[in-house]
Amino acid sequence: MVAGTEEPARRRRAAASRFLVRRELGAALVSVAGLVGRPVRGGDGELVGRLADVVVRSEAGYPPVAGFVVRIGPRRAWVHPQDVAGVEQGQLRLLSSRFDLQDVVRRPGEIQLVADVIDHQLVDMDGVRVVRAADLYLASPGEIWRLVGVDVSLVSFLRRALPGRPGRQPSPAKVLDWAGVQPFGITGGPVRLNRPNSGVHRLRPAEMADLLEDLGRVERRELLAALDTEVAADALEEMNAPDVLAVLRDAPVERAAELLTSMESDEAADALRDLPDDEREDVLRAMPAASAGELRTLLTYEEETAGGVMTSGMVLIGSTATVGEAVAALRAAAGRSDQQAGLVVVDQEGRLLDDVSVFELLGVDPNRSIAELVGPPWPVTVPPGAGLREVVSTMTDNRGSSIVVVDEQERPVGRILADDVIDALTRRDDRRWPWQRWIGTSS
Amino acid sequence: MTALAGLAAVVGPGLLAGLSDDDPAGITTYSVLGTDYGYTFLWVLAVSTIALVLFQDLGARIGVVTGQGLAGLIRQRYGARAGVLAITALFVANVGTTTAEFAGIAAGGEIFGVPRYISVPVAAALVSVLVLRGGFRRVERVLLALSAVFIAYVGAGVLAGPDWGAALHGLVVPTLPTSSDAILICTATLGTTLAPWGLAFIQSYSVDKKLTPHHLGLLRIDVITGAVLTGVIGFFVVISCAATLHAQGISITDASDAAVALEPLAGRVATELFAFGLIGAALLAASILPLSTAYSISDIAGRPAALDDSFREAPLFYASFGAVTVIGAGLVLIPGISLVPILVGTQVINAVLLLPLLTYMSGIARDRKLMGEYAAGRAVSSTYLVVIGLITVCILALGVLSLPR
Repeated sequence: MVAGTEEPARRRRAAASRFLVRRELGAALVSVAGLVGRPVRGGDGELVGRLADVVVRSEAGYPPVAGFVVRIGPRRAWVHPQDVAGVEQGQLRLLSSRFDLQDVVRRPGEIQLVADVIDHQLVDMDGVRVVRAADLYLASPGEIWRLVGVDVSLVSFLRRALPGRPGRQPSPAKVLDWAGVQPFGITGGPVRLNRPNSGVHRLRPAEMADLLEDLGRVERRELLAALDTEVAADALEEMNAPDVLAVLRDAPVERAAELLTSMESDEAADALRDLPDDEREDVLRAMPAASAGELRTLLTYEEETAGGVMTSGMVLIGSTATVGEAVAALRAAAGRSDQQAGLVVVDQEGRLLDDVSVFELLGVDPNRSIAELVGPPWPVTVPPGAGLREVVSTMTDNRGSSIVVVDEQERPVGRILADDVIDALTRRDDRRWPWQRWIGTSS
Repeated sequence: MTALAGLAAVVGPGLLAGLSDDDPAGITTYSVLGTDYGYTFLWVLAVSTIALVLFQDLGARIGVVTGQGLAGLIRQRYGARAGVLAITALFVANVGTTTAEFAGIAAGGEIFGVPRYISVPVAAALVSVLVLRGGFRRVERVLLALSAVFIAYVGAGVLAGPDWGAALHGLVVPTLPTSSDAILICTATLGTTLAPWGLAFIQSYSVDKKLTPHHLGLLRIDVITGAVLTGVIGFFVVISCAATLHAQGISITDASDAAVALEPLAGRVATELFAFGLIGAALLAASILPLSTAYSISDIAGRPAALDDSFREAPLFYASFGAVTVIGAGLVLIPGISLVPILVGTQVINAVLLLPLLTYMSGIARDRKLMGEYAAGRAVSSTYLVVIGLITVCILALGVLSLPR
C-alpha cells in the first residue's frame, strides 16, 4: 500500500475505536464459521437438521439475518428468523419442531455468508487493502440478529482448523466493521460502492490502483465496473502500462473505451501501444472520434521519443486573443486535465510563439492582448523524434517543469511534463538487467 | 505487434515452473534411472511429461482466469481446514525441497573444489538479493537466463556417445517394470517431475504476471515448451548415464556421483558440464521454491503480494521467503548432519500432498462459479481423473514397496 501521512493515521484511529466497540460486544458475538454444521434443534430439543448457511439482506450498515439454510437429510431447507428461538454458538434452537420446509432460493440483494463471503476476498475500505474473511460475527443488539463484523486475522483462520469447540469459539482479534468492507460476487452488485458516502470516494487513485492489482480477476472486474469512470481512470493512470493493458483487455470494449477516453492521453497511448492491432482498432472505434484521433496520432510516435512520452492535451491560443479569453480557455480545459502547466501561444500559421505560464496571467488586465505577454524567456522545444536522453537533458538545462514538442513547421504538437519523463525513465529502468540498476549505472 | 513479441510478453510461467522441476532431486532420479536400467524406462519420462503438460496448463489457466493463487482458492472453495492442512504440508515440503536444492549446490560446488561453507551461503545470498532487490521483470529475466545452463546436459549426453536407436526404442516402446526397485524408480520419476510447489508456483506466477484470458493461447505454448524441455533434459541425463555408467555396470546414489563417474568414461568436460548443470538447476529451483512458498502463504492469508511490492507492503511475503531460504540453506551447513532423512521425508510429503492438490485443482477447474466460461468440460475432467488415478496407483505402489522388509 502507499505510504501516507494523515489519512492512514485517521483511518487507523477510526478502525481502533471500532475495535473497542467490538470488544465490548465480544461476549455476545456468534461466529458464523463456527455455527456451520452445528445441530438445529426443535422446540423439544430433538435434532431437526444441521446448519448449512446464514443469509443476510445486503443493506447499509449492519445487515439483518434474512434466514438460515438448514440441511435436513439430503435436502436444503429455509428457516425464517421468526421461527428461531435462539442462536447459540453450539446450536440453533427453533420455536417449534414444525415449520414450513421451504426450498432455498437465491434472491437478489441477499448474501449467503458461507457460500459468498467466508474465505473470499473483500476490500477493507478503512485499511485500503484486500483481505480474506476468516470469520463473520453475528450479534443481536436488539431483537434481530445482524451481521456486525468480519474477522480477517490469520489467527482466526488457523483457529477454524482446530477440531471441536476451540475451532468454533469467536476469536475477535482483528475485526473489521462490516460497514467498512466491500464483498464481491453478491447478486445485485456491489451496491455499497455506489453510495455517495462509501469509503471508495475517500481513496487516492494510487490506493485504488493497489486494490485493483491485488484483487482476483472476477473481483477486479466487479470493482472496475462499479466505479465511476473518472475514479477508475485516475486509478489506471497510477498503474504501469502492462497492468493497465491487462485490466482494459479484460473489460468489455465499451467500458475500456470509456476509461481510455477519461485517462490522460499519454497514459492511454502507453497502454494501447502493446495491444494487438485488431483489438486496438476495436477500442479506438468505440471511443469518441476526437479522443481516438488524438490517441492515433500519439501512437505513431516511437515509445522512447519525445512524441511517445508527451501528452497532446494542451491549451493553444492565438496571439490575437485577450488575456480574459486565455483565462477562460484555461478554465475550460481545467476540467479535462488537471495537469495544465500553461498556455501555448501560436501565430496565425499555428507556429509556436511562447509558452505563457499561469502565473504570468495573474493580475493582468483581462482586456490586454495576450501578445503583450509574449517575450523572453523563450520556450524550450524538442522535435517529436527526439530521444529520451535529449528530452531529459533539455529539461534539466531548462529547469522548468515542462517543455513543448514542435513539428518541423514549429507548430506545437504536445507537451512533456516532468512526471512523463519520470514515468518513461522508470519504465526503461524496469527493462534493465538487475546489476545495471544495482551498480547505479546510467547507461 | 508481431506474434513473436506477444509470445515474449507471456513466456515465463511454464518455462520456469517446468524447468525448475529438473532440480538436483530430479537429476538424481534420472541419473539412477539411466544408470540402473539403461534406456528401458525412457517411456516413463514421456508419460511424466504428458502429465506435467496437463497439470501445469491447468494451473496456469486457473491462475489466469481467477486471478488468485492455488492456496487461496483451496481456502475459498474447500474451507479453512483443507487450506491450513495444504499450506502446512506445502511449507514443510518446500523447506525440505529447498534443503535438497542447497545440498545440490554444495555437491556441485565440491566437484569444482569449492567447499559448501562458501558455495551455499553465497548461493543463498545471491538468490535472496535477486528476489528482494530485483523487481518482477528483472527476476524473471535472470531466472530464464539461468535455465540456459540446462543445455549443459544436452552436451554431456552427446559427449557420452549414446546408442540413439536403443534410446528411441526405450522412449516409445513401454516395458513394464517388474522388480520392486524398478517400480520404485519409475514412480520416483513421475513424482519428481510433477511437484506440488511447481503447480502452486505456475498459478501464482501467472497471477503476478497479470496475464489475462487473452493470453491463454500463448501461455499454453509456454507451458508445453517448458514441460517438453523438462522432459528433453531428463532424456539427456538418462542417456548420458545409460551410455556410460550403465554400460560399465557402475552404480551411483546421486547426481554428483554420476558427474564424478562420468569423468573416466566421457572425459572431464562431461563431468564439468554435468556438475555445472546441477548447480544451475539447483540455483533456479532454490530461487523458485522460496518464491512459490511466499506466494502461497500470502495468498492463503489473504494478503496478495507481488514481486514488485516493497517489504513494507508485503511483510508476510518476504518473511516467508526469508524463512524458507534460511532454514533450507542452514540445514545443509550443520556439520555432521545427515540430510537423507530430511530428503526422503520431503519426497514422501510431496508425493502425499500431490494427490489432494491435483484433486482440488480438477475440482476448481470444473467449478463454473470460479472458472465461468473457462470451466473444464466432462471430457477434459475425465482426463484429469485418469491421470490422478495413475498417480494414485504409483504412489500407493511406492508406499507399499518402501515399507521396510
